[in-house]
Amino acid sequence: MAAHFDTEYQRLEASYSDSPPGEENLLVHVPDGNKSPWHHIENLDLFFQRVYNLHQKNGFTCMLLGEVFELVQLLFVVGFTVFLANCVDYDILFANKFVNHTDSSKVTLPDAFLPVDVCSTSIRDNVAVMFVLMISGVFWLHRLIKFIYNVCCYWEIRSFYTNALKMSMAELPYFTWQEVQARIVEIQKEHQICIHKKELTELDIYHRILRFKNYMVAMVNKSLLPVRFRPPLLGESVFYTRGLKYNFELIFFWGPGSLFESEWSLKPQYKRGGNRLELADKLASRILWIGIANLLLCPVVLVWQILYAFFSYTEVIKREPGSLGARCWSLYGRCYLRHFNELDHELMSRLSKGYKASSRYMNCFLSSLLTVVAKNVAFFAGSLLAVLIALTIYDEDVLAVEHVLSSITLLGVCITVCRSFIPDKHLVYCPEQLLRVILAHIHYMPDHWQGNAHRYETRDQFSQLFQYKAVFILEELISPLVTPFILIFSLRRKSLEIIDFFRNFTVEVVGVGDTCSFAQMDIRQHGHPAWMSEGKTEASIYQQAEDGKTELSLMHFAITNPQWQPPTETTHFISQLKERVQREATGDRHTLTSLSGSEPRSLIANFLAGPPSLASLHLGRDGSLTNHGPVGVSDGASALRSLSVSSMRGSCSSAHRSAGHASSASRAMAGSSTDARTASSGSSVWEGQLTSLVLSEYASTEMSIHALYIHELHKQQSGGELSRHTWHRQDSDDSSDSVTEEGGSGGGNTNPRNPIPRSHTFPISTPISTPGPIPSSNSGPNPDRGSTPGQEVAPLQSNSQRRYGGNTDSVGPGGRVVRSARVPMGGWAEEGRGGRHPDTVPEGSEDDMPHNIHKVT
Amino acid sequence: MAPPLYLLVSPYIQPATVGKQITMNCRSEVLEVSVEGRQVDEAMLALLHTILLHRSTGKFHYKKEGTYSIGTVGTQDIDCDFIDFSFVRVSSDELDRVIRKTVGEFKDAMGNGTDGMGQISLEFYQKKKSRWPFSDECIPWEVWSIKVNVVNLANEQERQICREKVGEKLGEKVINIVEVINQHEYLPKMPTQSEVDNVFDTSLKDVQPYLYKITFQITDTLGTSVSTTMRRLIKDTLAL
Repeated sequence: MAAHFDTEYQRLEASYSDSPPGEENLLVHVPDGNKSPWHHIENLDLFFQRVYNLHQKNGFTCMLLGEVFELVQLLFVVGFTVFLANCVDYDILFANKFVNHTDSSKVTLPDAFLPVDVCSTSIRDNVAVMFVLMISGVFWLHRLIKFIYNVCCYWEIRSFYTNALKMSMAELPYFTWQEVQARIVEIQKEHQICIHKKELTELDIYHRILRFKNYMVAMVNKSLLPVRFRPPLLGESVFYTRGLKYNFELIFFWGPGSLFESEWSLKPQYKRGGNRLELADKLASRILWIGIANLLLCPVVLVWQILYAFFSYTEVIKREPGSLGARCWSLYGRCYLRHFNELDHELMSRLSKGYKASSRYMNCFLSSLLTVVAKNVAFFAGSLLAVLIALTIYDEDVLAVEHVLSSITLLGVCITVCRSFIPDKHLVYCPEQLLRVILAHIHYMPDHWQGNAHRYETRDQFSQLFQYKAVFILEELISPLVTPFILIFSLRRKSLEIIDFFRNFTVEVVGVGDTCSFAQMDIRQHGHPAWMSEGKTEASIYQQAEDGKTELSLMHFAITNPQWQPPTETTHFISQLKERVQREATGDRHTLTSLSGSEPRSLIANFLAGPPSLASLHLGRDGSLTNHGPVGVSDGASALRSLSVSSMRGSCSSAHRSAGHASSASRAMAGSSTDARTASSGSSVWEGQLTSLVLSEYASTEMSIHALYIHELHKQQSGGELSRHTWHRQDSDDSSDSVTEEGGSGGGNTNPRNPIPRSHTFPISTPISTPGPIPSSNSGPNPDRGSTPGQEVAPLQSNSQRRYGGNTDSVGPGGRVVRSARVPMGGWAEEGRGGRHPDTVPEGSEDDMPHNIHKVT
Repeated sequence: MAPPLYLLVSPYIQPATVGKQITMNCRSEVLEVSVEGRQVDEAMLALLHTILLHRSTGKFHYKKEGTYSIGTVGTQDIDCDFIDFSFVRVSSDELDRVIRKTVGEFKDAMGNGTDGMGQISLEFYQKKKSRWPFSDECIPWEVWSIKVNVVNLANEQERQICREKVGEKLGEKVINIVEVINQHEYLPKMPTQSEVDNVFDTSLKDVQPYLYKITFQITDTLGTSVSTTMRRLIKDTLAL
């Protein structure tokens, strides 16, 4: 630019329009042209979202077809329902009325249809039907317009893929998202998609795609959203449906008058603390209006939900009634278990890997009473069914007898339902171990589950994350009825907290816009001292992410995106953690080999020493073997190892071995998996799609290892008495009583908010059938343990004791920490009382509040 | 209802972004000046012209083989009447006329003499041709917002001081502008002949600035208007 100006500094006289004299001697420029239209994209959020969606939907054609069918389906559902209601003569169908045919006595389907004119008049006369038709017509038109708009947009994205990213639609399914992302980062240098920065990072892309999801995850993490309820009779339950989620998003992110003025920026008035009360009032009234709108639309939505559920599930239930007894990850679970900056496909693959273990875990808890009943019901139903079927085979006229076909069907359903209550004969009861395997995949669980895996409370809480499909459908069905009330009565009261949340946890990032500050995964700002970031974090309790979310998310992101360059502090944290995990793993191996006494131990040692394929043969998916593994950290580490083998089996082991590690196969899995990743990412042999798939497999294994390690360490640090009880954090809208109530409610044993009795009541000293991790983690450095982990752990423990010194009353002779009863469980105030924040302002009256906030901001 | 305890614990202080707003995919610079009523138009002209001076080129003359040469641009010193300040602008009367017209409207809208706040935005954008049902998109890549605060002065002596002060301030702003422009950030790429209209404003005879748009707002209308809300609503529902 500047070059054009320093030519002359003079007044030019007239006649500019002609080419200047002596043009031939002037500089001649070559336009670099806008050969690609991909420079400087206006709405990068949408753009990246679409790029991601197109990738996830496997290309343009698939996506187009899917959407077309969705439209057709909609038409069909409405049309078919209206047809069934108005145009069928059921008397003929049920043979209550006779048709006189001349040629044959058979009743055909068309006989049951009413003539067109009768049909249309009956539709026209029915006001309700017309109303439904009108509404669905409008809805359908809206969908159609959206569809057309989407097609245009995605066509553009398609050409972005083919022209800029050089990926044809046909081969798109073979690329992983990480590869697509790498190419986007690559072409940013050339095309400048984003004009704020020369280079895009992976985190930028994630932030843009997941901007609102990160907020939701953070809000669930901080228990801000009203999704936990205590209805009478049902006990504590979670209610979070798609309808509710849609409404939350409508209120916060994109609806009219939402907190965000555009996709990427929060409205400026919400960033200032000054008039927070006023804004909270405004939000509250908006929520009220949206709630009322929901209430008004409720019949329509309800009818729709019922119809939709009927049409989509009836067939499935008929085909395999067992599917109702199957489980799925609940919507709440997906929010609770999601890392910050985790894309849908990453989450889903992780949860799917944990699915098997989770259902096995849930199956451990089948009530024996129910089993006995179910067995007998199944027996009787089965014998009836057998007779009916036998008769039918003998003479199929039996089917023509009234209700025989329907009773066959019903009996079949009955048997399948019963069967779901009968546990697998070969099931091994090892909940603790299963929970550990689950943890390796889902990465999050409340502290008090560990060591309490066999309790029904734990099961019930886990079932909030992992619910019956039937419950899921039922919740979706009643959602339209419940949602308005949740909005009006529950969410509205939280408006001030919501305003505060968005103000406190929004940061502006250059080139990205306003994002949730948790999603920055900054240990310093949001780390939790009980989760490895002690000494590094400066966060107050309010700012700490619960359940080690910051730390785990950071690890997850760093592992899934190895190219990402985190800030230096963060790099330090990551490398430190990785190093520790590796060291523990290798150190542990020494212990093992030296110990190899009992059969299972030698098995593990064998696997460690032998080639991985052999080991995988031995271990398979059997998590229970790790039960007999070494104790303490090593227990966790070995659990990891068995896991790593099971999940890497097949896909990776071959690659891993031929990558030149065959000789060093005796190395601990944890270490070598990391190595193999780095090694193979560098080597040219392993280029291509195979590598990236293998790598992502490695990544997930590595993440599992780290997750387990972090949890293990967390458990040790908190010394078996976990101070913060996040799972049942009080709904903080109960304002000032919240703290006292927390403590008080601890009295009732049936109250789920009351933590499961631990330490002092939970029989740690009682020998448990399996030497689980409970005693080992509580005991001090164990002589059984190898030198390395022992040294590693010792300072840690003393550390933790120092830190929790305020809470710990005494350390038992076995290194067992005896917990005093005076410390209230859960809630926000607890750690503040622990003396970590001496400057904590004690509860103030409402008048102090704005003043205080105002002053600081 | 007393607030929950944790709300009182040291709220997280946001990093302040001074003079720089981050919008989607567009640089945004904010300049603020306080001037006396009669100085408004000169101050605005000075700043707008300074920016445009750096965001204009000579006319492109395309030749065969897709190359082009750039015509020359003259510059001109302008002295202000009510401020002790002079600035350099592109010596293009046409451009000057356009700017003067907008600034005049702005001044009229501000009203005379009384205290007031206003904002002029100079937005550089490029056009993106889109397929039929949609109209061409204008995608801004840089927005300069000049916030004006009009003060009322009591006597001649204050006016004299103000004259000098505003001159100094404007000098600082000009240096600010030049610093920003020197940062070598994103600029649209030089277009080929067929696309020159998408990047540059070719309507002027003697100079060719990047496509720009000048808009202004007076005090209370800074909030989002009804039309933008409606537009967003429609867009949101479509983009669902």
